[in-house]
Amino acid sequence: MKLTQTGSTDHIYYRRDPITKRKALRWPNDALAAVAVVVSAEYYEMRPPPGAFIPPNVPGGFGRGPYPDFRNYSVRAYGNRVGIFRIFEALDRYGLRATVALDALTVVHCPQLLPHIARRGFEVVGHGQSVTRTISSRMSMTEEREYIRSTLATIENATGIMPSGWHGPEYGESAQTPAILAELGLRYVLDWPNDEQPVAMTTPNGSIVSVPMLVDFDDVYALFHRKITEARWQQAIQEGVEQIVMDSTQSGRLLVINLHPWLTGHPSRIGYVEAFLEFLSQHDRLWLTTTGDIANWFQTQSASEATG
Amino acid sequence: MLQYSYRPNFPPTRQTPTEADQCWVDYDPIVDRPPLRWPDNARLAVMICPAILDYEFMPPGNPWLNPWARTEPPDVLGYCRQEFGNRVGFWRVLELFDKYNVRPTAVVNVDALERYPDIVAAMTERRWDILGHGLSNTRFIYDYDEATERAYYRAMLEKVEALTGVRMTGMGGSGPQAGTGNTPDLLAEAGFVYQSDWSMDDQPFPLRVRAGKLIAMPYPADMMNDVTALASFEADAYAESVKRQFDRLYQEGTHSGRLLTIAVHPALIGQPQRIRYLEQILDYITSRPGVWHATGADIAGYYLSNYYDNALARLDRLRAGGSR
Repeated sequence: MKLTQTGSTDHIYYRRDPITKRKALRWPNDALAAVAVVVSAEYYEMRPPPGAFIPPNVPGGFGRGPYPDFRNYSVRAYGNRVGIFRIFEALDRYGLRATVALDALTVVHCPQLLPHIARRGFEVVGHGQSVTRTISSRMSMTEEREYIRSTLATIENATGIMPSGWHGPEYGESAQTPAILAELGLRYVLDWPNDEQPVAMTTPNGSIVSVPMLVDFDDVYALFHRKITEARWQQAIQEGVEQIVMDSTQSGRLLVINLHPWLTGHPSRIGYVEAFLEFLSQHDRLWLTTTGDIANWFQTQSASEATG
Repeated sequence: MLQYSYRPNFPPTRQTPTEADQCWVDYDPIVDRPPLRWPDNARLAVMICPAILDYEFMPPGNPWLNPWARTEPPDVLGYCRQEFGNRVGFWRVLELFDKYNVRPTAVVNVDALERYPDIVAAMTERRWDILGHGLSNTRFIYDYDEATERAYYRAMLEKVEALTGVRMTGMGGSGPQAGTGNTPDLLAEAGFVYQSDWSMDDQPFPLRVRAGKLIAMPYPADMMNDVTALASFEADAYAESVKRQFDRLYQEGTHSGRLLTIAVHPALIGQPQRIRYLEQILDYITSRPGVWHATGADIAGYYLSNYYDNALARLDRLRAGGSR
């Protein structure tokens, strides 16, 4: 499978058409902009298997310490034990349906979390094996295909639903990931934070939609890596939404906010999540939905354009 | 400004062989647990932990963790910044604890007790509780075998009791290090009631150990710890975070009791530009009814007597696939 053009160091997944030159995109119900919230339910291993790739900037404490690193493990485990329920209850309060990015080891080690997701009707997307086993180009294509396939199988076995979307742990991908995702029947991917509209990707195995999550809105990148305050982060999200709405009069745009319960599920931070969720819920020109619904809508629109 | 760094490519440590990733903690969503009730139906137990630390000028090398990562030791700047806590900062912090009549749980490197007898006298006079934090913040036990680690805890318990009269009930690793694969088992065996390295909850919870009983008492690794908070923000942001944390836990505590542990380092919060923010925190947390201001020994003792057995039995039933 050829994933790069001959003589080029770039990939072949999509065209470089600027957002100003595309066909107008319209969201349902006269909404100007689409907004989705992703909640990442992640398992952080105390002892990853030999050879697992962990990006050096995986956040928490002083970085990964020698086994047994109770402390870094605990910082992350807070998310699935405690923090995620504050975020879920905040979403409940404003009647919002989220997308949960669920990794396979969370399914295995935290099975009691699953009914809390199911009874809310949240969408589930595959989120890899664990945050301590990320995809990278160190994997062979066979290894990567098996990694993604087994993640999806674990989720399907436990929840009865095959995810249609994918978010690599730590946004990890190799050069061949979109092609493998398409091959395995996934319809959209969340790891390409390069746009304010969905992007149609073509691979040798068929097409797949990219739903971009701008990483500067991601709580970990804002609060942990960049150390901005929670109040400023909340304000930035609201300013971003206002701008997107203003810029959506010609063609609809989107914003996806990725939340990590180990960080923003803390008592001192949840109030800011609630505040921007309230802001979103009171805005009358937004389509508040899941990333899966956004990908579906985009695919349907593109298909009707192609045939019409 | 954190002076530690893990060594690049540190060697493997002794590992406890288990099937699972870790064998001490069962996953247990906080919303699935039966309610926890504190004494007098308090909504919130608050434990405040000033650190009394020992930093060596020229510590021996350690293959896992570099205590002075900025430069080859001595790091005079780093050393002095820490030592300020025991020379100056402690006395400011002490005055505020007296003013607000708060009885803290000191997080203690045992070697510091020998170096700073005036601090020991002040703590002893006020009956502060003590949570062990290893011998020194520049000594780490990654390479200890079981017998060495067992002797290490026994020696610390005895030394602290001899110097202060306090029989320690809790322990957490020194510096950012958390211990070995044997640590929970050996803490329970030595008679400790709780381990403070599990910052993964807003309530105490049972740990699974080989024999005896051990409680995880979550200790902050985040904004409730001034080391982490002040590495990136100033003390106003730290105080605001603590107040927000307090408010939210206080609100949730009507359904089920919560634990708020606040970690303060006199070397940092005891600086002249910051002490007023500790005063704000103490003023805030002591101004509400329905708050149990308690020590680590109090809280762990209460949980052990009233909740530990039932909590563990419930987790056993869940493991066996039974009902909650």
